[in-house]
Amino acid sequence: MALLETENLVKEFGGLVATDDVNLAVEEDERVSIIGPNGAGKSTLINLITRRLDPTSGDIRFKGESIVNRDPHEVVQMGVSKSFQTASIFSNLTVRENAEIAALAAEHGSFGFKFLEHRDSLTDVHEVARNTLDAVGLLDQADRMASELPYGDKRRLEIGIALAAEPDLLLMDEPTAGMSPEETEATVDLVEEVKREMGLTFVLIEHDMEIVFRVSDRIVVLNRGRVIAEGTPDEIRGNPEVQEAYLGGVDL
Amino acid sequence: MSFHIEAITVLLNGLQQGAIYILLAVGLSIILGTLKFVNFAHGALYLIGTYAGLLLALEINLTSGQLQEWGFDQLGLGLGYIPALIIVPFIVFVVGLAMERWVVEPFKDRPDTDQILVTFGLAIIVQELFRVFFGSSSLPFSQPAWAQGPPQVPFLSTIPISSWRYYVIGITAVLVLIVYVLVEFTDFGLIVRAGTRDPEMVELLGIRLSRPYIVVFGIGAALAGVAGVVGGPLNPVNPTIGNEILVPAFLTVVIGGVGSIAGAVLGGVLFGLTQAILVATYSAWAQVGLYAIAAIVLLVRPQGLLGEAEVAP
Amino acid sequence: MSDEPAAASETDADTSDSIADMVGVWAPRGNEVRVVAGTAVVLALFPFAFSRMPVVSDLLQGYQSLATLILIWGIFALGFDLLLGYTGLLSFGHAAFWGGAAYTAGVFSQQVSGSPVLMVAAGTAFAVLLAWALGFLSLRRGGIYFAILTLAFAQMLFYMSSSPLAFITGGENGFTGVETAELFGTFPLESELPSVLGLLLGTWLYAFVALITVLCVALAYRILQSPYGMVFRAIRENEQRAEFVGLNVWRYRLMSFILSGLFAGIAGSLFTIHGTYVPLASFYWTTSGEVVIMTVLGGTGSLFGPIIGAGVYLYVENIVSGGHPFDFIAPFWHLILGLVFVVVIWVFPRGIWGFVRDVRDAVTGGDD
Repeated sequence: MALLETENLVKEFGGLVATDDVNLAVEEDERVSIIGPNGAGKSTLINLITRRLDPTSGDIRFKGESIVNRDPHEVVQMGVSKSFQTASIFSNLTVRENAEIAALAAEHGSFGFKFLEHRDSLTDVHEVARNTLDAVGLLDQADRMASELPYGDKRRLEIGIALAAEPDLLLMDEPTAGMSPEETEATVDLVEEVKREMGLTFVLIEHDMEIVFRVSDRIVVLNRGRVIAEGTPDEIRGNPEVQEAYLGGVDL
Repeated sequence: MSFHIEAITVLLNGLQQGAIYILLAVGLSIILGTLKFVNFAHGALYLIGTYAGLLLALEINLTSGQLQEWGFDQLGLGLGYIPALIIVPFIVFVVGLAMERWVVEPFKDRPDTDQILVTFGLAIIVQELFRVFFGSSSLPFSQPAWAQGPPQVPFLSTIPISSWRYYVIGITAVLVLIVYVLVEFTDFGLIVRAGTRDPEMVELLGIRLSRPYIVVFGIGAALAGVAGVVGGPLNPVNPTIGNEILVPAFLTVVIGGVGSIAGAVLGGVLFGLTQAILVATYSAWAQVGLYAIAAIVLLVRPQGLLGEAEVAP
Repeated sequence: MSDEPAAASETDADTSDSIADMVGVWAPRGNEVRVVAGTAVVLALFPFAFSRMPVVSDLLQGYQSLATLILIWGIFALGFDLLLGYTGLLSFGHAAFWGGAAYTAGVFSQQVSGSPVLMVAAGTAFAVLLAWALGFLSLRRGGIYFAILTLAFAQMLFYMSSSPLAFITGGENGFTGVETAELFGTFPLESELPSVLGLLLGTWLYAFVALITVLCVALAYRILQSPYGMVFRAIRENEQRAEFVGLNVWRYRLMSFILSGLFAGIAGSLFTIHGTYVPLASFYWTTSGEVVIMTVLGGTGSLFGPIIGAGVYLYVENIVSGGHPFDFIAPFWHLILGLVFVVVIWVFPRGIWGFVRDVRDAVTGGDD
């Protein structure tokens, strides 16, 4: 059974078909990248999976269970986490608190009545947060206000927040956009290390082809909402339809 | 009175009251829809319109407030109702321009709550300024003598509704039509509508939106001013009427659908008619019924009757 | 023998461990004792300094009953700030809970029991249930819709109390049938406390209100120090991210609304006990507006800001407006409050309390 499956997934906005009959299957432990020219519908697909959008028709199944009627927070609790394209962090909380929010949701569920318990008594939350910050290399900045971090660190915190949720499936929407080569390198290493240690399955949206080809087990190519090609990096590299979709071809 | 006459009276009263709401709601709606600005000071603009109308049209005796204490027992230009009707919109238009420049602009990018709070504070300041200078007691602002009785026209003369109320309905209809034509059929309107949909794109095309936006706010303000002038003679005139009318005005906007002129008209008509009908039948429940209906519409259809359903990101 | 004392001390240790385990999550931590104790001390000295102390009280022109009223509104504003300052939701209809509790406490005292404690319990229970219902309906959307919906619901209650339900509420005349009894059956609220306490605190009523205020401050502080405090702030900072981290944002917002209703309910009930009368205006939007102004003026997002804001507002409303020695500005009191309010929102969102803290930091060298 695939970890994540979509079946005949369609999303229409008025007259525009952003997602056109997409059938996707991601197996456990796989590293899948979704690529395609701008407007291909990559973000829409991710938003459908995270339940930020409602599909027009079709099904999405996670661990065999249909999730199309679930709320976003429920899907996260089931084990799907997403890191956003922009650094979507909690600016006026400290770095530590950013991680703790995610850890709180992971350890104590989507809602509780613990408004009379002091935060300090939640040792499990503190531990998960600490480990997460350590993993993304931000532990030394734990007590700084998140808004004060330089952009690259904010992106790392963003990924950290997504990881603190202890997901089974991690969706990453252009994680290296706007990063310098060193930061990009560090991010890729981080993700690979996390994958090894946590046994994570991930789905990546990326434009940087170097990363895509280096990191992926399988690549799915979207154009105009449809899947036009699917396969290993080698198979995709030589695929003429893919080259055409990118209008003259990216230097693959 | 026969049931016929009673029913028509109620209907016309409802339309007239609705007209006032429409004038306020159209202004609020385009400001909210285009500038994405929540203007809790819209009632203050109505208030300014009323007092300005009063002071332009008539000469009145003051009995309280600082102006009276400083010796100004009698105030007003006594120019008559028609000149007042013409001048007031311009005055309030200018006030609107000033407000856009100095309040709206700085708060454009601040959260909704800040916009509500600052305009709420402004509304209080304006209210208090009028209270301080003119006193809390209601000033006499009656309908003009030439419009007090029903129109001398075959059927309408039998209905106990003053001509003034018909003028209110008529003026509202004309103004709303003008605004609608402006928005739908002129270049200015095109820019405004495009800017409402995608301000970034418009700016990238080299069109500065700040000028049209100021004008939009000014128009909204002017409409509120007109509402104040035409509504003034129909209600008591005191400093609290601005904020009193704010709630029904906002409810009208939200029920009709933000950003939709047709929605504001529909909402206003509905509100006015409902109010008139309830007052004539179950008067104890009139206000309650009004708010209950508003709440129900909002709950069942949060985007309003004619508003667009939320577009996905 | 050596076993017995050891066994005895082991069981002692076990007992205190298990008590500690039970109290564990409830035990005060960190700053809590300091904050609550500090509050208690200030409240103990307040009525004396405000209304009876030579020189100071002549300057301030304060009086006992106003001191009590300040605490009551302070509780209202404190709870309101949980919703506005911490969760980022602006309600313009909290008069519904204040007024609802006030009328409930009043009617309860007339029909069931005049025990002040029970009156507060009854009023608060009504406010909490009402907050649950109204929150459920109003929180579907945030921002302006939420503000307008809460305003509309409160206005509905106002008009309901005005005519259709006037047979319960007294309509335009307000509710005059309040029959508050002695506290715990023995202490008349209006009477003075014995000896020194009487000099410091004044009446039993003040002591009652002050004690409840201290408890409310402790409760608010604990809520803010709990996971809820962090979640509220996260929702205010980035609601979408909070949802996508796995938190049920809708439920937490509803809880924030209900908790703010709880405080409003306590305050409204005390208001009835204090005034022995419930004005119809308790439901009117101006009352909702007043708590908004007090909270913002004092400083949103802080524990003491709202209480300070309540104090400043009520002081200006009741004393500055009265004349000497404020003759010159007396007629402009409301205008001045409006101006300060706008200034605070515009340039100094941390309010009066934020200003005080800045001054204190500047004076003491800035580390605390």
